Amino acid sequence: MDVSQYLEIFLDETNEHLTNLNTRILELETDPENMDTINEIFRAAHSLKGMAGTMGFKRMQNLTHDMENVFSEVRNGVIKVNSEIIDVLFQCLDALEGYKDNIQDSADEGTNDNEPIIKMLNAILNGEKADDKKPAEKEAAAKPAAAQEDAAGDKWDHIPLDETQVAVIKEAQNQNKKVYGLNVVVQEGCILKAARAFLVFKAVEELAEIIVSNPSAQDVEDEKFDLDFTLIVLSDVELNDVIKAAASVSEIETVTGGVIDLANNTRLNPKAQSEAPEQKEEPKQAAPAPAAKEASSAPAASASSASEAPSSAAHKTETKKQTPAKPVVNRTVRVDIEKLDSLMNLVSELIIAKNSLVSASSQEQIDVNSAFNEQIEYLESVTTSLHESVMKVRMVPIESVVTKFPRMIRDLSKKLGKKMELYMTGEETELDRTVVDQIGDPLMHLLRNSADHGLETAEVRAERGKPAEGSIFLNAYQDGNTVVIEVGDDGNGIDVEAVKAKAIERGIVTPEQAAGMSEKEIINLLFLPSFSTAKQITDVSGRGVGLDVVKSMIESLSGDVEVKSKLGEGSTWTIRLPLTLAIIQALMVVVGKEKYAISLGSIQTLEDIPVSDVKLVQNKEVINLRGNVIPLIRLDKVLGVEKDRSNDENLIVVIVKKGDRLAGLVIDELIGQQEIVIKSLGKYIKQCKFISGATILGDGEIALILDTNALI
Amino acid sequence: MELSTVNNNQNVLEEEGKSNEGETIQFIVVRLGEEQYGINIRNIDNIVKMQHITRVPKMPPYLKGVINMRGEVIPVLSMRLKMGLEEDVITKATRILVVRLEEEGNVGFIVDEVKEVVTLADTDIERISRDNMSSRESLINAVGKHNGELISIFDLAAISLEEN
Repeated sequence: MDVSQYLEIFLDETNEHLTNLNTRILELETDPENMDTINEIFRAAHSLKGMAGTMGFKRMQNLTHDMENVFSEVRNGVIKVNSEIIDVLFQCLDALEGYKDNIQDSADEGTNDNEPIIKMLNAILNGEKADDKKPAEKEAAAKPAAAQEDAAGDKWDHIPLDETQVAVIKEAQNQNKKVYGLNVVVQEGCILKAARAFLVFKAVEELAEIIVSNPSAQDVEDEKFDLDFTLIVLSDVELNDVIKAAASVSEIETVTGGVIDLANNTRLNPKAQSEAPEQKEEPKQAAPAPAAKEASSAPAASASSASEAPSSAAHKTETKKQTPAKPVVNRTVRVDIEKLDSLMNLVSELIIAKNSLVSASSQEQIDVNSAFNEQIEYLESVTTSLHESVMKVRMVPIESVVTKFPRMIRDLSKKLGKKMELYMTGEETELDRTVVDQIGDPLMHLLRNSADHGLETAEVRAERGKPAEGSIFLNAYQDGNTVVIEVGDDGNGIDVEAVKAKAIERGIVTPEQAAGMSEKEIINLLFLPSFSTAKQITDVSGRGVGLDVVKSMIESLSGDVEVKSKLGEGSTWTIRLPLTLAIIQALMVVVGKEKYAISLGSIQTLEDIPVSDVKLVQNKEVINLRGNVIPLIRLDKVLGVEKDRSNDENLIVVIVKKGDRLAGLVIDELIGQQEIVIKSLGKYIKQCKFISGATILGDGEIALILDTNALI
Repeated sequence: MELSTVNNNQNVLEEEGKSNEGETIQFIVVRLGEEQYGINIRNIDNIVKMQHITRVPKMPPYLKGVINMRGEVIPVLSMRLKMGLEEDVITKATRILVVRLEEEGNVGFIVDEVKEVVTLADTDIERISRDNMSSRESLINAVGKHNGELISIFDLAAISLEEN
């Protein structure tokens, strides 16, 4: 997963959280009992942890995780805040700042684990005073770690060697090359194990020749290993150098190694160890004495807490080494979306003013000279590009939302025990920021739905002759002034009969009603609140609080969602969203004497229908348009407009669609297409079903925007 | 005419209750039919001439529609219909008083005429209890005395409450 694109956001948000933490912890010092402050700190630490984790900055994540633990205890009242704890917390913040600076300079968090601070945090958790670490405690902490090291440390001795490999080793020994065994342990929770392993391979290969790898290099590449892998290498250099090289790769927990002697199959040298962060203190740690070994394997406790200065010095040199000439991150300014909104409003005002100027200059027969006209044209082009730039500022690719999905599907795949793969296209499609912010949850829900309910189990898939691996896809593309996002799968599809049975069982429809419903209508029942056809409730797609929420969320963004499904072949959910919420292309129409705007996005066609073609079905007016029976809606009646026109021979009918449903809106006059700025009617006017907003026309008058979805 | 306001205080009397004896409050005096009504000047955002009002469908009769004020869409109410009087007769003197409500933002009121700005001392304002009030009076929470005339003072909180 490429996360570099989020680096800027990550840094901005980290800055924000750190500043927040600094002030809050100061507050906490003066008012240690303040629950609000504690909660706020907890939240900030939690967000930091999550962000660092997502970005793969494990050290940062570990530190914030431990901080969060402390706060969780503080919050639960187990630990009382005192000045020592505050001191430790500030050290944490400094350390986090350090990580942040490293990331800003080199896109890497550096290799400082800040073990002493983590130690102190844990000490707080264990009810100790931060500065009062008992040796016994330290030892206890050290022992399990050491035990683990031992178990892992011996591994290279147990690599099964075949004859050729033995021959190669013997040959090398004859050439006075040294044969080392290495055991590399990757940090728990490392996201790209294979990539880390690859880097280790590369680092080692610069100094040595890898002859055996367990698991095999191919398996390692395919991530088919747990947390550690073992290598046997041939080299001319010292064992410690090789270990150092391997340990310099980030997210490597430990590298242990020893010399292999085939003759008696035991190591000649006592085990040498290295931990990634302590490479600079290598001489101390590589000491062969078993006692020293135990001490050094305790996560930096003795070494670096005894001498914090050298450790931070080491950290500094490292930072320097990694700092490239230029920072990798571009500087950005984060702007409150409200400021953008007000900028947008001002631009809208300007457009309206410009429109009135244009219409004034063409209507009034003032002595318009060419220079004046030129300036108006210039003004027009400037306002248009100004508008476009402001719009662009608000547009962000949906990428920021969808890139988390492959990971989610991977996790779901494991959780559900189904093989599946997510295919995504059109991640670069751009949408208004406010829309992008809110589209994540509905999409996630639909994907989960596909993974959980959509895809069949492996056995069923095999039976149906489908590939064992289920496919889930997410396609996004722009279609006119809407953006379409499709989420689908090649799974079972929607079982209409099951939905019907469920609806009857739930009392949503009567059996008689159900019998008369079309397949489409039945599928639409899925969008009703509390409807779930999953036979088992899983924690993946929940308890039927979902599709209705998906629908209402999307509708609140002025979009719509529909589903196409074929039993046994899969289903596709199609979400349509307006490109932007602020400005739309609309058809201006006249009803009676009033002007209304209808969003172009919902208009199918414009028709001129002879009055004689209007038929009555069940006492409702319909027209037959190219084989489709379409209900007519008389806008003047619905909107309560005074009708002052004589009945014409022909009706002007705007055919609008909502999903698959069509309706014909009867209007009196067409004005034309216009780009309109959507304004809210304000809070005072609440109950107006058919009107979704208002817009200001070039002459300063207000036209209302019809919500065709509410009319159909 | 444009009047900027500093504090968006809704309730005249609350303000008055806190203030010291002898403090004064300014009111805009408007005419509806034969009666005079006052609105605390602090709550007034703007006073504009009568203009075309865009009707909003399916609204109660007193809600006349919306107007465009400096790019903002503002609902306009008929104060007369709201108080149970007969329909407005639009004359040259008719004005739309744009008032800031705390919750709902700006709202316009149609009044027959805007007469003057008066300054009333606390002692000239008499509170009306909420009991025994007709619908017309429920929007009034005080009466002020000025030059021997009575000015009914609008309770803006009641106007905004009623909508919810």
